[in-house]
Amino acid sequence: MIDIAIIGGGPAGQAAARQTLGAGLSTTMIDEQARPGGQILRQPPAAFAVKGWMAGRLYRPLRRLLAQTEADIRLDWRGGTSVAGIERIEDHFRLTLSGAHGGTLLARRVLIAAGCYDMPVAMPGWTLPGVMSAGAVQTLLKSQQVVAGQPIVLLGSHPLLLVLATQLLDAGAEVAAVLMPQTYGRMARAVLPYLAGAIFTPGPLIAAGAAMARLRRAGVPMMMGARPIGFTGDGRLEAVDYAWRGQVQRIAAQAAAVSYGFLPQSDLPRQIGAAVRWARPAGGWETVCDGAMRSSIPGLYVAGETTGVAGADAAMAEGEIAGIAMALDAGVRPPSGMARAQARRARLQPFIDLLRAAADPGEVWPQATPETLLCRCEDISVAQVEATMAQLSPMADASAVKHRCRIGMGLCQGRSCEHALVRRIAAARGCDPDAVTPFRMRFPARPIPIDEIIG
Amino acid sequence: MTHEVLIIGGGLLGCAAAWHLARAGLAPRLIEARGINAGASGQNAGSLHFQIERRFLEPGASGQGADIVRLNRLAIEEWAGLEEQLSRPLDIHMHGGLMLAESEADLALLASKVARENELGLPTQLLSGAEARDLVPRLAPHVCGAAWLAREGHANPRILADAFAHAARASGAVIETDSRLLDLHRDGHGWQATIEQAGQISTARARHVILATGHWTARIAARMGLNIPLYLAPLMMSVTDRTAPFLPYLIQHVGKRLSMKQTDDGNMVIGGGWASAPQRMADGMPDLDAPPHLVPDNLRANLAVAASVLPCLRGRSLIRSWTGMTCISADQLPVVGQVPAAPGLYIAAGGSMFTLGPLLARMLARSIIERAMPEEIALFSAARFAHLNAFVVPS
Amino acid sequence: MSRIADGVTRPAPITVEIDGAMVPAHPGETLAAVMIAAGAYRMRDDRSGAPRGLLCNMGTCSECFVWIAMDGAWRRRRACLTLVSEGLCIATQEGQP
Repeated sequence: MIDIAIIGGGPAGQAAARQTLGAGLSTTMIDEQARPGGQILRQPPAAFAVKGWMAGRLYRPLRRLLAQTEADIRLDWRGGTSVAGIERIEDHFRLTLSGAHGGTLLARRVLIAAGCYDMPVAMPGWTLPGVMSAGAVQTLLKSQQVVAGQPIVLLGSHPLLLVLATQLLDAGAEVAAVLMPQTYGRMARAVLPYLAGAIFTPGPLIAAGAAMARLRRAGVPMMMGARPIGFTGDGRLEAVDYAWRGQVQRIAAQAAAVSYGFLPQSDLPRQIGAAVRWARPAGGWETVCDGAMRSSIPGLYVAGETTGVAGADAAMAEGEIAGIAMALDAGVRPPSGMARAQARRARLQPFIDLLRAAADPGEVWPQATPETLLCRCEDISVAQVEATMAQLSPMADASAVKHRCRIGMGLCQGRSCEHALVRRIAAARGCDPDAVTPFRMRFPARPIPIDEIIG
Repeated sequence: MTHEVLIIGGGLLGCAAAWHLARAGLAPRLIEARGINAGASGQNAGSLHFQIERRFLEPGASGQGADIVRLNRLAIEEWAGLEEQLSRPLDIHMHGGLMLAESEADLALLASKVARENELGLPTQLLSGAEARDLVPRLAPHVCGAAWLAREGHANPRILADAFAHAARASGAVIETDSRLLDLHRDGHGWQATIEQAGQISTARARHVILATGHWTARIAARMGLNIPLYLAPLMMSVTDRTAPFLPYLIQHVGKRLSMKQTDDGNMVIGGGWASAPQRMADGMPDLDAPPHLVPDNLRANLAVAASVLPCLRGRSLIRSWTGMTCISADQLPVVGQVPAAPGLYIAAGGSMFTLGPLLARMLARSIIERAMPEEIALFSAARFAHLNAFVVPS
Repeated sequence: MSRIADGVTRPAPITVEIDGAMVPAHPGETLAAVMIAAGAYRMRDDRSGAPRGLLCNMGTCSECFVWIAMDGAWRRRRACLTLVSEGLCIATQEGQP
């Protein structure tokens, strides 16, 4: 039995591990990637040498933390491993692992710092190969040193697209356009209330300005108010359609990077029954916690995007708080710094609020057609889901719809479609998404090869 | 308001009974605490097993196997007519079932079982390992025999109760979901129920009440002071990713816990009576409303049994496991019909309630319509446990 | 062709087999990256036979499930989490052992 299991090797998990290891607690860190870093610092293969990798000033604290983590021989690092199950047994936890370090792991305390993923947004043609999440394009770039395709179109409501566009330009890729559905005016109105507070963390704002200047210099069309309609192609992506000043336009592309926001990874907290709430504005389920990152389950802590998507700096702060809290709760000599970490986290909030407001897909969602697949695993269309909902009582929850038309019944367990179904149920009922009971998250959180289970 | 029949529970049994009663003009009212099909009716693995099950061959079980065969023969006919009766496709497949043997001991057990079934009029056949592999070429080479029953199979548990509820409504039944029974007690010659729906509390009177409440039945009965010997059976099931169709049959095992089939969509559904662990309430009693926990060792063992007879499963992925609760009776046979100590109160629970549900619902409805228990289910009457209520004053 | 050349030093290339075609790769790369670098965007077919490709590249969506030959049998794995090695043989449609 170990003291601490940390699920996720990103900034939150790493910051927590600094604290728990410093307090003398045995700590195991599990991540699906081979190397620590999380998605923000998704590392190249160990055998690669990449000059100036993630050299930007904003990444400096993250790189420093990663270097400390990798150098710390006390950390039991288990990469290439998925956490498929989490249960509380009496006073400890049992994790069921799959992959490079498969098996079970018993831990007295668990931190879930499992990050987030790009919100999948159903729109016509979105299942064509070549249409990817912005995160996929970005991690191919920074880890694998591969350009996902070119020409590439970036589209969606999230300002991350600006950062991605400059990274693609740095890599020599041909960026055809950046299409953002909100107008400058709308975005300005959305962020205005938060601007004054965010001025204390000006780094990302300055970076966004620099990115826009860079795109302009490179001649990349940066189109605010261009509403993506869908994707076309014969067997793979060939073009992106969008509406611009009342006209439908078509732009050729081999790849597209889509970003309308991020959803917290919530399988494991929900599997073990931790309290969650609907995340805003993008949706999905964030795990509820107290000021010391304690979830509603005794001994289970959460940090980073699991608690609500807020970015890497907030994740680092929350990880540190969680690490300190775990050491405190374990009764070992409490490391100092809790108040300082909490204050650091609080200072970030205005910028987080600003970014959320700026990225809010609000009224600029792309429209799915009746034929658009909502559930990509089982190939269930919008029309099938609507027909099923029409046959059910308005009070029917997400699982009732799932059981009748198979939405969410496939390999991803609803990670791609559940948020959209919950929104649809809420809209039909005229209630808040928070009032809709989502799918029950089942074991395993990731598909497990049967030969691995039975050995 | 007085109803002729009030049905508690919107699972397979309750909805099917509602349909039969509605068609007879009794306009039943059904209340369901959650949604239609939310309990074991929608959580079981969908097997239509009509051979004598492995559990009836275990030490301690004696004559029940023979009793259940009589019921199973009627259930076969019931299932065979369902899609036509309900006028809609229900993913019912009765292409046959194999109960496998992996050892000489298994084979001997199968042989005696088949002989007994044949005596009772169930046309099972003993197959050699090679004959079984002719039917399912991917069976492991060491499978040395099987009992074959041509009309076994499987159905889709996720849609059946809905179909009955839909048909029942069309015939005049009133079905209310999110409607919870708070209290039930005798009132003159009938029953009075207190019901909560959306925060509103109301009462309803009924001449007959059917408790179609699955594993909650014993506890609801206990609140009325009635003893029904039904015991919790928390189980688990697993499903793999989809694959091209190769298994049209139900697979069981005579010596090990296993049920396995391939759904219309291509997933393999694997179960067979492996236990899960109920969640506990503060007082240590099982929480009947919470899903039980998976037991990892049982999951591993269940999948190992499955892959032992069907090695190609090793190439598949487990995509979902789930748990559900049912109940078994003291003698493993269903407990069906009027509770002698509580005239007008009917139950049906206690084992194989998916396979037997449509038939038993019809029988319960007949009991009420004809004011007498059909002779076919006399063996399964709740009266066999009447002695447990000898000292009970029903409230 | 879409591998970044400037400033990146990779180990000597190896060869992997994708649907019968020999494709260059570098040790340490993920199978998903190798396929995309080779222009092989299709990773599986959906139930209608339509092609599907990489969506999340982080193990979450399961769109990139491919079949990998392992010890004489085909095993299903996520391409985005699978690291390539010499002799790796994969299929985008279910193979028979």
